[in-house]
Amino acid sequence: MASSSSSTEAGVVAERRGIPGAQFVEDVQTYLNQSGLDVNSALAFLQERLQQYKVVEMKLLAQQRDLQAKIPDIEKCLDVVATLQAKKGTGEALITDFEVSEGIYSRARIEDTDSVCLWLGANVMLEYSCEEATALLQKNLDNAKASLEVLVADLQFLRDQVTITQVTIARVYNWDVHQRRVRQAAGVAIES
Amino acid sequence: MQQQQQQGQSGGSEMEVTWEDQQNINKFGRLNNRLHELEDEIKIAKESNDNLEDAGNELILTDEDVVRFQIGEVFAHVPKDEVETRIEQMKEATSQNLEKLEEEKESIIAQMAELKKILYGKFKDSINLEEE
Repeated sequence: MASSSSSTEAGVVAERRGIPGAQFVEDVQTYLNQSGLDVNSALAFLQERLQQYKVVEMKLLAQQRDLQAKIPDIEKCLDVVATLQAKKGTGEALITDFEVSEGIYSRARIEDTDSVCLWLGANVMLEYSCEEATALLQKNLDNAKASLEVLVADLQFLRDQVTITQVTIARVYNWDVHQRRVRQAAGVAIES
Repeated sequence: MQQQQQQGQSGGSEMEVTWEDQQNINKFGRLNNRLHELEDEIKIAKESNDNLEDAGNELILTDEDVVRFQIGEVFAHVPKDEVETRIEQMKEATSQNLEKLEEEKESIIAQMAELKKILYGKFKDSINLEEE
């Protein structure tokens, strides 16, 4: 079983980053024969797969929300550093009102400065020169955007697998109903 | 061939689903999801545009020379002219973004209409492609 995400001729992708691919069923009868399952077991197996997909989907959606919140934050930081850098040349101080506590603001006077402090998380704050800060923030922004792209692709793949599984469940169920009708009709024919 | 396939009610008919059909269904699903995301993004972009409009109007009305302009989490004291320029830039950016989003939305709606035709053509009643 290939663990890459390239498609084979039958369009079966084995898995992608830990998400198992849903097997596309060409013909229900063949599928049931091959797997050796009866209809109810097959349906149960597929339903379970669907549940697993849902769990992974929740996780990915949460990660996506986090990233989507992080990106505007980084952009705001870049904006501030850029403003400080612009002010550096002029020799004037930057006067700003900032929030001390909810609803309470105070005025600050920021003199010409060569460095800023960046909050790195985990109670760590480091001082950087404006240029270094811009570079670091830009790198973080690029990484976040790249991660988001990969995540979105993962979600698309996952949703495709969910759709395939749902269609397979419907087809197996319909096939079963059809089989019962055929048997019933055959039974009636024999009797009459 | 399609008449034979429609013999049952939804459920009970032996439905042929090829890999191509499956891919069409998957694509329709993806487009539908993207459409919902786009609608949210368009709503946010429109709100942002309206806010910038209001801000611009307020700016014209005010007689102060220095305006408290939000940069990041703080309100910097910025001369009125600079604020005007910044707001113009932001309005430009938001308008362009909005246009791009609207275009993408048009394209997706067209693609979905195409797929609907194909899928309903093959599956008729056995498939439901409408919003709940």
